Amino acid sequence: MLAAGMLALGFSLAVTVLAFYGLIGFDSSGTESRLDTRLLSDGYFHSVVWFSIKQAGLSALLALVLAWPVARALYYSPGLWLRQSFLSLCVLSFVMPTLILITGLVALLGRQGLISPWLGQDWNLYGLPGILIAHVYLNLPFAIRVQLLQLQHIPDSSWKLAAQLKLGAWQRLRLIEWPALRAGMLQLFGFVFVLCFNSFAVVLALGGGPRATTLEVAIYQSLKYDFNIPEALTLAWTQLLIAGSLFLLLNRLGGNQWLGVDSTQQHWTPKPGAAMQRLHRLLYATAALALLLPLLALVPGVLQVNLARFDWLAIARPAFITLLIAAIAGTGALLLAYATLLPSRFARTEGRNTLALLCDWLSTHALVAPAMVVSVGLYILLLPRLDLDHWGMLFVVLLNMVLILPYAVQQLRPRLLQFDRQYERLVRSLKLGFQERLRIEWPYMRRACITSFALMLLLAMGDVAIFSIFGTSDWTTLPWLIYGYAGTYRMGEASVASLLLLLICALVVWLFQHFEKGQQDA
Amino acid sequence: MKTIIGLCSALAFGLTQASQAADLRVYTYDSFVSEWGPGPQLEQAFEAQCGCDLEYVAVEDGVSILNRLRIEGENNKADVILGIDDGLSVDTRATGLIEPHGLSISPLRQELAWQDDSFVPFDFGYFAFIYDSSKISQPVTSLRALIESDASVIYQDPRTSTPGQGLMMWVKAVYGDEAPAAWQQLSRHTVTVTKGWWEAYSLFLAGDADYVLSYNTSPAYHVVAENKTQYRAAPFSEGHVAQIELAAITSTSQNKDLGRDFLQFLVSPQAQAIIPVTNWMLPVIDNVELPPVFGELISPQRIGFSAEEAGASRQQWLREWRSSAAQ
Repeated sequence: MLAAGMLALGFSLAVTVLAFYGLIGFDSSGTESRLDTRLLSDGYFHSVVWFSIKQAGLSALLALVLAWPVARALYYSPGLWLRQSFLSLCVLSFVMPTLILITGLVALLGRQGLISPWLGQDWNLYGLPGILIAHVYLNLPFAIRVQLLQLQHIPDSSWKLAAQLKLGAWQRLRLIEWPALRAGMLQLFGFVFVLCFNSFAVVLALGGGPRATTLEVAIYQSLKYDFNIPEALTLAWTQLLIAGSLFLLLNRLGGNQWLGVDSTQQHWTPKPGAAMQRLHRLLYATAALALLLPLLALVPGVLQVNLARFDWLAIARPAFITLLIAAIAGTGALLLAYATLLPSRFARTEGRNTLALLCDWLSTHALVAPAMVVSVGLYILLLPRLDLDHWGMLFVVLLNMVLILPYAVQQLRPRLLQFDRQYERLVRSLKLGFQERLRIEWPYMRRACITSFALMLLLAMGDVAIFSIFGTSDWTTLPWLIYGYAGTYRMGEASVASLLLLLICALVVWLFQHFEKGQQDA
Repeated sequence: MKTIIGLCSALAFGLTQASQAADLRVYTYDSFVSEWGPGPQLEQAFEAQCGCDLEYVAVEDGVSILNRLRIEGENNKADVILGIDDGLSVDTRATGLIEPHGLSISPLRQELAWQDDSFVPFDFGYFAFIYDSSKISQPVTSLRALIESDASVIYQDPRTSTPGQGLMMWVKAVYGDEAPAAWQQLSRHTVTVTKGWWEAYSLFLAGDADYVLSYNTSPAYHVVAENKTQYRAAPFSEGHVAQIELAAITSTSQNKDLGRDFLQFLVSPQAQAIIPVTNWMLPVIDNVELPPVFGELISPQRIGFSAEEAGASRQQWLREWRSSAAQ
């Protein structure tokens, strides 16, 4: 069993290593230099690194700070109208295909945007504001959910004690709420920082010019036109080093935020005063509106298209293919995640925490490895060795699986560690075999598995980067079709297809919410 | 459920089926082979003529064709590459995988002034700034006027897109050593610089800029496909830079005669009537029957640099742009 885990960990690691090997090993010029060290003293390089850090830091900070009051409102007012739907909307926002988000933001906040007239003469979406708004939109809802979950981990006894001690609002905040959030905050910050640090499409679309260049964008640029592999490698190592070490550090500092009893069902929370309740409702409504507006702003564009004449058949097949690929990649990612977590769980029960931390880092390393380098590197490695025109789709599935693996790991890990804490000794003392063990774990894991599967599905459905390299035109996916439409003047068709993609995503979220509710009622 | 099973088995089949060698393999870019692009019609017409089997292998865009050749080297599967533009021709030739076609190509349009023994042009267009004439009644008449104006502009990044490279050459051709100052001035009223053509163009259509960098043929699409006449290309007095799309046969091809036939076919009146209304570029030969709007497009003076000149200075021009436009 441990061997299978090591194998899975090795596999996910091998993909990254092989990709780097592919790039390093490719020699078009015959020169020996593998790294472009001159770049390190180039002013351009410094500004790229600095901008990457600055925008990621600001995005993560804003997302966390803005999420906090909303998470509190949700926590203290379980009776908010459509609360569960709002939490689903949060999932949808987090996995929103960036193409759709960008279109929505431009329709809302661009020069002719629906609410731009109220933003003053000097308003300009493009540049740092646009990047920050898009990043906050993607990550704030995620932060809300995480913070809410952490607040829900506060045991009833703490609140009862607080009531007995007659703690004031400020004291409750400082002594009860903050300790529950603090440990998770650093990790959350690290996670959002890494996502924004590696951001690509948002920066390219809303950045506004060469001022706004992140490392991921610079890697793309050096691989695309210049095919300058030494430069791309130098940038890639820099990115891996910064994002990787930060992620490792924050993981370490962050402690184990999941080691509480999982209780999404609240029992007892202090009831805030009437004024506070009004404030909570206001905060909640503002957040919901902010998440909904960019989506609603898409509708006018779609209405301009003659829907009766629209070729629905042309997008039915790509829609199916998208779902199919995402389903296979999602299932694969879940199985792989389960397996890659085995070594770290084993190390943890043995008390070898540093080893466990290393295993954790390895199983989520794809989060910090530059996606562009992984796909291009593998392409370079495989193209001369394999008929990619026939096997390309296999790699679309495989790479999607590897790139969403970290999310699957993060979803499953807390629950599995909790299982280990509660049952590992028992399982060991009973000397249960693998199958029997699975039979015990499954009821415990079922809900986490299915909700994670929905997330995997959503994440894989938005992919264009991998498809653009490995995909074949016979198997066009919906996101790729949208790019195809847009690339040939068919902006109207592109917006209809975008809305369809969004609706499919929403449907998946809705189904998963429905399921979750069913589980709670059961 | 049946559909899903069908798709699953089709996927499995697609993954496992043995590759059936076509008679002629053409590397090209994705939008060329899309169902509304020129690919399918050209394939049908050429196959009827040669009685052979043509197969497209599509990659993301023009530069990806070159990158694929670089990676595959001698082991490439292409008989013909189609969709490299003149800016990439020097680098493509440098791979050593392109061979002179040895054809006498029937007279091409004079403005192309085309002299090359390996590459055959199949369409071309002039880079131009497009505006909405229902909003702007007095458009700028020169590149200098545009750069000195305060009109909002969207263009594409020269590091990731061919129109961006086109503008880089345009500015260089008009301003020479003064280019950095021009970029600085332009950056003051630039809305954004996008990764590729469509991002910029869709932002323009959403009303986010007065002018967008595109092609002089863009208005033809709006007239023919959408019956909209308000989008116009602004003619600039200094002249315009052209982009010429090229095809060539590979030196590794086993079927060079068929490849030559295909190149010859690409410049035939039959193919040249298909390409402009599907790829939205200009035909490379005269007297092609096209929708009337093609006769109303601006036909500017051509300026710019030879592919060799541009290839030699491109890196330096990019650095110049990068540092001046960032201020």
